[in-house]
Amino acid sequence: MLALALASTTEPLAAPGLFSIGPLTVTNAMLFAVITALFTIGILLVAARYSQLHPKSRLAYLFELLVDFIWGVAISTFGDRKTALKHLPFLGTLFIFILIGNLTGSGLLPGVGTITAHTASGSEPLLRPFTTDLNATLAMAILTIGSVQFYAVRQLGLKGHIKHYFASPLWNPMNLFIGLNEVFGELLRIVTLSMRLFGVIYAGEVLIAAVTSLAGNLGWLAAVPTVLMEIFFSFIQAYVFMMLTATYLSVALGGEHETREAELVS
Amino acid sequence: MQHADPQLVKGLAIGLGAIGPAIGVGLIGSAAVGAIGRNPEMQGRILSTAFVMAGLVDAVLAFVLLIVFTTK
Repeated sequence: MLALALASTTEPLAAPGLFSIGPLTVTNAMLFAVITALFTIGILLVAARYSQLHPKSRLAYLFELLVDFIWGVAISTFGDRKTALKHLPFLGTLFIFILIGNLTGSGLLPGVGTITAHTASGSEPLLRPFTTDLNATLAMAILTIGSVQFYAVRQLGLKGHIKHYFASPLWNPMNLFIGLNEVFGELLRIVTLSMRLFGVIYAGEVLIAAVTSLAGNLGWLAAVPTVLMEIFFSFIQAYVFMMLTATYLSVALGGEHETREAELVS
Repeated sequence: MQHADPQLVKGLAIGLGAIGPAIGVGLIGSAAVGAIGRNPEMQGRILSTAFVMAGLVDAVLAFVLLIVFTTK
């Protein structure tokens, strides 16, 4: 019988703490999230510096391609140039940050998860990709849904936003039930958004470890297709997160987008 | 159930948990192929939408993998 005992060889579900600043325990996922964010900001600043009408720099061209792709998603979801332009920075931030975080988790970077630090509770990996920590994805999902609610309240007013959930005669028990269902669904979006991203990326990392340990001496060769699949899933999950955010935003900001999209298609 | 073999439970979990996503991905693939057959000039948009839907469905299998790999 094959005894893998993978639960002990791969990293635990909860990110272990490295050190603490006052009451805040800094985990390795938090440390790497800060490093990833600084790297992302830096590379975007460099790309923005070299961006021009006919970009000669390959980096600027690549990032313009990426922003153009996000712009396409935004304009096809909102159907309105002004609204899309207003929410483009948020969507772009989500996509690029999640994409880079996922790519660091797909076994591409040497040192991530293998460099260990000696802490009070033993030796722990120093760097851990932040999307393989449920706290990180949950925080992103709460921020996303929270800002969707914020924009909806600012656009429609508090009364108009509540009317979005509850139909007009509230004494009708059916309307009340449907409204409560909608509010519960809004809370459930936080759970599904965070669990989808976390589950896929963490399971992918564990899958790479499992395939490597199954293959024995040729583990590095056997892991190559899995790593390629993980790169593909990194893109898909970042795109899904951004697209779902755009869809939630456009639904919460008002119902006229459907007719506009129908006009665009026809 | 306290005498159940954990390896058997793991095998059953991955086997039963793969049924749903497999059916889902199959349905997405058949729908995408049918749609491309109907209007081949929309192939790019249909394929990208199909990949996104496959990503949504694969999350279920990822949860199963997560449970299988992280329990002893």
